[in-house]
Order: sequence, then C-alpha cells, then structure tokens
Amino acid sequence: MARPLDPLGFEDEMCPVCKSRKYLNPDIVFVFNPECYHSMCLNCANRLFNDGPNQCPHAGCNKTLRRKGFRSAFFGDLSVEREVDIRRRVAAVFNQKEDDFETLQDYNNYLQMVEDLAFELVNGSDEKRRQAEAQLAAWEAEHRQDIERNKKAGREADEMSRKRLAAERDAARQRRIEAIKEAEEEKRERVRSREMELDNLAKGITTAAEPATKVQLKRRGQRGGITEPAAPNPAAAAVAGMGASEVERLSIRGLKEKPKAPAPQGPYDPFGGMDFAPSRYKLHVGLAHPLMEKYRLDRQHVAGGYSFDDFAARALYEAFAGLGVFVEDEKEVGNGNGLSQAGEMVAAADDPDRMDLD
Amino acid sequence: MASEDARYRETSQFEAWSFSPAQLAAMREKTNVLARQRIAERMLASASNLPTSNNTSKANTPDPSGNGTPNPNENGAPTLPDFLKSEEEALLVSFYVSELLRAADHLGVPDEVRATATVFFRRFFLTNSIMTYPPQEMILVALFVGSKAEGRFPRIIEFQQKFNTKQDILAGEFLLCQGNRFNFEVRHPFRALMGAMMELRSYGDIDEQRIIAAEKRAHEILLFSPLMTDAYFHYTPSQIMFAALSLADRGLAERLIQETFHFVPPTTNNDNTPAQTPLPGSENSGLARKDGGGKGQMTNDERAAIIGTGIRDKVMGTIEACRTMLSNELPERKSHWTSESIFKSQIRPVRKKLTKCRDPDRWNLSELQRQRREQGLRRDDSEERAAASKGSKDAALFGGDLAAGAPEKKRRKVDGNGQEDPFGGPL
Repeated sequence: MARPLDPLGFEDEMCPVCKSRKYLNPDIVFVFNPECYHSMCLNCANRLFNDGPNQCPHAGCNKTLRRKGFRSAFFGDLSVEREVDIRRRVAAVFNQKEDDFETLQDYNNYLQMVEDLAFELVNGSDEKRRQAEAQLAAWEAEHRQDIERNKKAGREADEMSRKRLAAERDAARQRRIEAIKEAEEEKRERVRSREMELDNLAKGITTAAEPATKVQLKRRGQRGGITEPAAPNPAAAAVAGMGASEVERLSIRGLKEKPKAPAPQGPYDPFGGMDFAPSRYKLHVGLAHPLMEKYRLDRQHVAGGYSFDDFAARALYEAFAGLGVFVEDEKEVGNGNGLSQAGEMVAAADDPDRMDLD
Repeated sequence: MASEDARYRETSQFEAWSFSPAQLAAMREKTNVLARQRIAERMLASASNLPTSNNTSKANTPDPSGNGTPNPNENGAPTLPDFLKSEEEALLVSFYVSELLRAADHLGVPDEVRATATVFFRRFFLTNSIMTYPPQEMILVALFVGSKAEGRFPRIIEFQQKFNTKQDILAGEFLLCQGNRFNFEVRHPFRALMGAMMELRSYGDIDEQRIIAAEKRAHEILLFSPLMTDAYFHYTPSQIMFAALSLADRGLAERLIQETFHFVPPTTNNDNTPAQTPLPGSENSGLARKDGGGKGQMTNDERAAIIGTGIRDKVMGTIEACRTMLSNELPERKSHWTSESIFKSQIRPVRKKLTKCRDPDRWNLSELQRQRREQGLRRDDSEERAAASKGSKDAALFGGDLAAGAPEKKRRKVDGNGQEDPFGGPL
C-alpha cells in the first residue's frame, strides 16, 4: 500500500533468478514455495525444480524445495501470505468453538493463548518460533482425535448449510415455476369462463357469476397448499445435524464436560435388562404334551402361525418360575413390605371416605 | 439369582399379594377389628337417625330371617350385636369359596377362570370383612370379573339366567376391582403342571401311564386344594404345582426336583476361581443354562445358588410345607363342604351370627351403588346450583335476558330446589 503508483510496472517485482520483469514479459507469473517464501518466476521454478528437489536459488537460503510445493501468491505481500498460511495451520489444530466452553471468560482465555502462539510463529525470534512450533506439534499429536472430530463436525456443518441453501434455491425455483403455471392456468380459465359466459348469454341462461368465483376459490386453495411442504425439511435437518455434531472434549481449562450419551448404548431394552434365558431348565427340542397333539393337526391353529415351541417354553417357564422364591422369608425381612405395610393395606381398603369418593 | 425367579418377583402376585402366615393373620385380625368399629358406628348412626330403616333393609336382604339393624330397645339406644371373630370369618370365607367352586361348576367355566375368581374372592375378603360386604353376591361378582380377567367375556344375561341376579353383580364389579387393587393377573399352576409333564417325558425312562395318572390327579388337586387354602398367598405357582404333583406321585416330584437342582460343586473347587471349563454334570444332564443366554459362563457360586443342593433342600422344604397345607383340603373334602350335617353343625350358627352383625349400609350392593351415585349427583348438583345462582345474579344485573340463555336442564334443577336456593327462584 505504501508503494507509489507505478502504471508502467518499473517498480514491479523482478524475478531474482532470471532478472526478467513484468515490463519485459507481460505474461510473467510469480510463484513461491511456502518452505521459505522466496518468490521467482514460473519459468525459473520449472527450470530449476523439474528435475527433482533442488536448493533455493536465493542467496543465503539453503532450503531444499520441490516443484510440487510452488504456488502463486494470493496476496501481493508474501509476508501476509505467510501469516495467513500459519494462521490457517494453527486454526486447523485449535478448532474449538465457543459452545465447547463453560464460560465466555474461558473461551477468551483460550483465544488469547491461540493468538499468542500464532503471533510467535509469525513474528517471533527463531528461538521462540521453534518453541511455539514444538508446542503446536505436541498439542496436535496429543489431541489428534478431538481435532479430527471437530474438523469433521465443521465439514458436516458446512455440508449441511450448503444443502440447505441448495434446498432453498430449489424451493424458490419450484415456487416460481408454480407461480408461472398458475398464472397461465388463470389466464386460460378466464378465457374459458368468458367463453362460457358468452355461450350462456347466447342461450339465455344468466348464471354467469358463479363459475368465475368458483375458479377463483380453487386457485387460492391451491396456492395455500403448494408452498409449504418442501421448505422446512432441510432447514430442520440442518439444525438437528448441528445439534448432534457438537460432541467434543479437550483438556483446556473451562471446557464443558458434555454428557456423551449416544455411541455405545446399543438398542433400547424394553425389559430393563431382565434376562430371559432360563437358568434352571433347558428347552429341549420336541417337548410335547398329549393335549398339544390334537392342535398340531388343527388347521385353525397351524394356519394362524401358532407356535408350539412357544407354548412349551411358556409352560416350562411357569413350571420353574418362582421355585426359588420363598415368600415367607422374603416378605418378613426384605422388600420393605413388612407387617406394618400389610396393615396399611387393610386400613386403606377399609377407609370409608376413600371408598366413597371413588 | 435365577432369571425365572427374577421374573416372578416382578409380578403383582408376588409384589402385592404374597404374605407370610404371620402377616396374613395380622391382616385378617386388623380387617376384623376395623370392620367391627365401622359397623358399630354405622349401626349407632342409622339407629339414631332413621329408626324406620329397619323395614327397608329387611325387604332388601336375601335371607328372610335377616335382621339388618339391631333392634332399638325401649330407651331408643341400640344394643350392639355379637361380631364375628376373625377365625369365624375365615371359616365363612372358606365355606363361600366352596360355594364359589360349585357355582363355577354350574357355569361350566374353564379352570383358569375358576381359579382366578377364587383368588379374587379371597383377596377381596382379605382386606374387606365378610361382615361388610355380602359374600353370596361377591361370589358371582368374582366369577364375572374373573372371566373377564381371563379373556372370556360372558354376557351378564347368562349369569342372570343361571343365578337370577344381575344388578348386584354389576354393582359389585368396581368394588371387587378396588378390593383387588386392580391387580388382574393371577398366576396359576395349571400350565406349570403341563410344563412339568413335558420335562418328565423328556427324561424318556418314565412309564407313560404313570405320568398320565399323576397329571390327572395333580390337576384334580390343583382345581380344589390350593383354592380352598391360603396357598396362593404363601407359595408361588410352581411350588404349588410341585406340591400337588408330590401329593399325586411323590416319586415323580422328587425326581424332577433332583434333576433340576443337580449341581454339585467340584471337589477341587477354589472359591475364587470361576469355572471357565464346562462342568461335566451340566453337559450330560441337559438341565444346565441354555447356551447363548447372554452372560456366558457363570461362576460355581452362582450355579450353586441357582441349581445347587443347598437351594434344593430349601425348595424341598417349602414344597413339603405347601404339600401339608394342600393335604388338609384334598379334593375328597368336597363332600365335607357340601354335606348337610356339617353345614348344620358348623356353618349355620356362624351364618346366623353374621346376619345379626352385618353392615347396615353396605350389605346391599345395588342399594350401595345407588346411594353412591346419588351422593355423586348431589355433589354435582350443588356445584351446578352455585353456577346457576351466579347466572341469576348476572341476569339481575343485565336485565334478565341472560337467564334465557342458560341451559334448560340447569334451570329445571334450580326450579326443583327452589325453596332451598338461598338466592330465590329465577327471575
């Protein structure tokens, strides 16, 4: 910005390798490698690095560069380009969101910490930069999973919003088409009713007003019905997706400890974990009872899918269920259903007011 | 804990309707004491308020010799009658249970209905005294509700044709359900008996005729003995079934128990080491835990707790106790309950006593229901009247036109009670 205007491009960058300028070669393209951020023209880069890795041609720079790493700059100032690259890298590692923190203060502290790190990476001395680099690497190694998860969540959110936008666009297009169709229909209808009116007049019937209103009503009804259904679904899905994807945990101070419900739960168990496998008996194949035999041939039972094995299972279950339940012991001591409670039961049953107010 | 037992413990039969003998006796005693208090209060109240109610209650009672309320003596102070003791109540309940079984035979209902009705009847008269509600009517109510609870829906007309009563049955329905705490599922030993027979047959070395005979007899016992005793309160259906089987054929019952509780801990058993290898006994006997049953191998301790010899002896003891209880009321005792001489010598005196001390307000079920309805109606009525009087005040304020908009019914009611309405008649 501070540079003076220079319409002819004399002050333009010059390729430090081949010394050509934009003025001489209007098609010149400058590229650089993020290893050292030294720029050169594309021709030089191709020439020097097409045959494999080579040393940076800048005086005093001994980085080894590869052709693959070269790219053209987005910003005119390469130091800005470098800072953006570094910040992008830092942001990819420290990708917590505000929702992940318990208080705003914690979030701000976290941002401050990240900013300090980024600043040191960008502007710090060699020593400091190395230190910050090590910190970043350590953090990344340590929290790889969380980072991945956040990244994925971010991608999903992006995807979701993209889908939502597409759906909205679709819906809008749909509405436009409908509106055009409707207008055409209306026009046609008007012509038709006009003709009918004329016919009726010719025949001498004077009920012209009625069909016209009918048409009008029908149209309104249609319009009310069409626009609703398409729009809300993607939006709702997007919101739901955002809600579900906010799962992460990191050991930064003040990070929310969210109850992580979903993953390992398995299917819902309506019986509350009760075990239905028999423990005292075994269900043999071919358990039979004479009373069952006549039903085996009865078409009404067989056709309905009556399962004789189920009957056998139930009968055996009933034969052994509660065999080890000793009512006297259990009711006297355990279960909290002692004598006093039995007495209450009687009192409750005998309470006349309670009975009367049923 | 065996999974079957855990499942049984979830039933209402275990949760709400299983008691130790001491608890059961205490409950009966308490029911009896409470009933005495209430009936005495009501008798005194009705005698002082409505001396003429004597006639009406006499007309409604089924027994012509009945004398619902105590006779006021010359000073107008009524004398309280002799109340039934709880043992006498128990005797009467047993007698009426035998009547119930006869009624069930008369109706020709299936076994489950018969048993369910009996259990309902017994449960009802556990928390309600036989002096409070009429047992004769409750028998039919129990049969009617019991049929419904077992998934058969008889028409009330059938009952009317067979027993010549309808109103009382319908009036007592809700009462019975209340007395049963709305616990409608009763677990019975009948299907369990079939299961036991299947298991016995699967051993393969028992004579078929022996099994059939044992089942027949055990079924006969199950249809009478547990119902006539308190077995359903004290024992689980499977224990009752084993006891009945043991009465029918002791050998078979013991064989089944031995095969079930076969587990003997290995002699080298270290208490800490779980048995990772399958035990030799469990593979051969075929009674071990079913494979693929979720939790995998159990430790020896667990297995011993479920099918070990220690628990076997305890189960045997319980079954023996149940057997003793059932043997007091073998099916042969049916004639005991129906015999004329027994009835004359034991039942009739108690019944006579009962007719003197029963609850004057609750003896007649239809009457009781009618009163309750009226009570409810009166309550509604007073609410409506309050609303109507508010309406008439509004009408006065706004020039009388509002009253015309009030519902016809409401106005009629206000008319009927015009002299009692503190705000006077409508404008």
